[in-house]
Amino acid sequence: MLDKIMKTQLFAWIDKRTGAEAIIKSQLTEYPAPKNLNYMWNFGSLALLVLVLQILTGIFLVMYYKPSAELTHGGFTVAFDSVERIMRDVNFGWLIRYMHAVGASMFFVVVYLHIGRGMYYGSFKAPRELLWIIGVVILLIMQGAAFFGYLLPWGQMSFWGATVITNLFGAIPVIGELVQQLLMGGFSVGDPTLNRFFSLHYLFPLLLAAIVGGHIHALHTVHSNNPEGIDLHKPEQMIPFHPYYTMKDAFGVAFFLVIYCYIVFFNPQVGGYFIEVDNYVPANNLQTPAHIAPVWYLTPWYTILRSFESKLLGVAAMGASLAILFVMPFLCKSAVRSARYRPVYKIMVIMFFVDVIVLGYCGHSAPTPTLKLVGQIATAYYFLFFVSLPVLPKFEKTKPVPEGI
Amino acid sequence: MKMTKFLLAAAALVSLSFSTTAIANEGGAHLKHAEVDVTDQAQIRRGLEVFTGVCMGCHSAKYVTYRGLMAYPEIGLSREEVDELRGDKPLTSGMISDLTVEDAVVSYGKAPPDLSLIVPGRRGGANYVYSLLTGFEHDPAGKIPDGNFNEFFPGNRIAMPDPLMWLDHDAAETEELEKQAEDVAAFLAFIADPHQNERHAIGVWVVGFLLLLTLVLWRLKVEVWKDIKH
Repeated sequence: MLDKIMKTQLFAWIDKRTGAEAIIKSQLTEYPAPKNLNYMWNFGSLALLVLVLQILTGIFLVMYYKPSAELTHGGFTVAFDSVERIMRDVNFGWLIRYMHAVGASMFFVVVYLHIGRGMYYGSFKAPRELLWIIGVVILLIMQGAAFFGYLLPWGQMSFWGATVITNLFGAIPVIGELVQQLLMGGFSVGDPTLNRFFSLHYLFPLLLAAIVGGHIHALHTVHSNNPEGIDLHKPEQMIPFHPYYTMKDAFGVAFFLVIYCYIVFFNPQVGGYFIEVDNYVPANNLQTPAHIAPVWYLTPWYTILRSFESKLLGVAAMGASLAILFVMPFLCKSAVRSARYRPVYKIMVIMFFVDVIVLGYCGHSAPTPTLKLVGQIATAYYFLFFVSLPVLPKFEKTKPVPEGI
Repeated sequence: MKMTKFLLAAAALVSLSFSTTAIANEGGAHLKHAEVDVTDQAQIRRGLEVFTGVCMGCHSAKYVTYRGLMAYPEIGLSREEVDELRGDKPLTSGMISDLTVEDAVVSYGKAPPDLSLIVPGRRGGANYVYSLLTGFEHDPAGKIPDGNFNEFFPGNRIAMPDPLMWLDHDAAETEELEKQAEDVAAFLAFIADPHQNERHAIGVWVVGFLLLLTLVLWRLKVEVWKDIKH
């Protein structure tokens, strides 16, 4: 079908002025992709899909949402009322809002699997260091966008989550207090905070869209890694992206949409994980909820924060746990990329995935001494994993890497 | 092999969506199970009667408008019935209690929470509401006065005085009171998300269509890829 379109006069007219044919050829129909990519390589296109869904649903939500913490009857606010109006009175408002709320969590599900894929198969290693670093920037902006967005319904968890997180910035020496006040627009979380978070929640996805462009550009410069983690150059090892991977991605998209729509239509709260129980209660600055926990996708970092007695150390550790991702390509000295041929790394990276899940569980649960200890051990392993990367090649016996596929 | 791994990951995702994680309710005691059916018009209407007759003495449900009581097919009151309920309040008004916050604070020590979102807003949902309404007991420690001790309320001391007169009721009334508690829990579960039944009905078609699409695209993918050895 693409061929037919490219033969039309209209296309020729456009091509003459944009070079569209050359772009389509170099990026799609003649873009070489390894033929051995497995289904773990589907999550990039899925992440792009969810980003687009989030932006589209978000645009429609903003048409009805009102960022105001002014009190209304029954201890609610204008913001909370406007969300409920979307849920009850706007035609298919419930659908758009649930798509957006579930989409936020699914975005992280997809992106975490995408990152895990990159770690397991060594996609972060040379020559893809910058591709990985751009990806980490995307992760940080996503986490920021999600955090800002969570304040908007102005529920209990919105309010207290924002209070806890903005307080963290206060722990930074010298400039901490200033940063905290700038974020909150005052001395506590209130109407000015809601307004600036709303503004930033609209800004960050636009940044994401631009940086995702850079991510894809970087990918198309260095090309995809593959499960074997070896460099592929021979024509018989490669297939054009279109139609092979467009088709495979289309299948992946449909499969993803089945799960996504199942959740949206039948179980949007997912037992309090995607939409927290306490966020159905309007924000009340005089009543702290029994247990404050961020949404599941931020809980691993919350556990790292809570693992230290000193707030400053906790904040520093949390910052370091994210910052260390930036240097991961330079920490890992092994000449072999894929965990398939790195027996020790394979065990360590799988343990790392389990470790992050354990961290997440600890951060989501109410703190107990046992869980605190588990969280501290998990935090220690989180850093141990990265720190051991440079020394690993000194004693790890890698398996012979195949010549081709 | 590759496919198995992929399917495993997919299964993990699906199980995540199914997980209804047994979260302990805030009171600590194990919640009683309520037979609640948010598609059952008769039950929801009975619950509405309990709500307007008992709960609304103090509580509001501001997001439920009188117009909604007519418009939602799950309730489907007639104009006459709604007119009788609303008195001189406009159709677009929410179901607001006549008790002011100031008076409530004087009488009970705190403002009664709005009940529009009480079911999703409490761990245990409808079961919690049902358990709470049938959870008034004499304090075994003898400290909390009768009517303020509730087995299922966090900390057991509740400001709401036994609305269904559960404490010391005749054994013959048990069934009727349990039914009232269940019915009002059903009403509250419905109004928390009045489009939930519509959502489920549409969802069957959406997910069904997507399953078919997935099947077609999978076969198409296999067809496109059939000459690639990998």
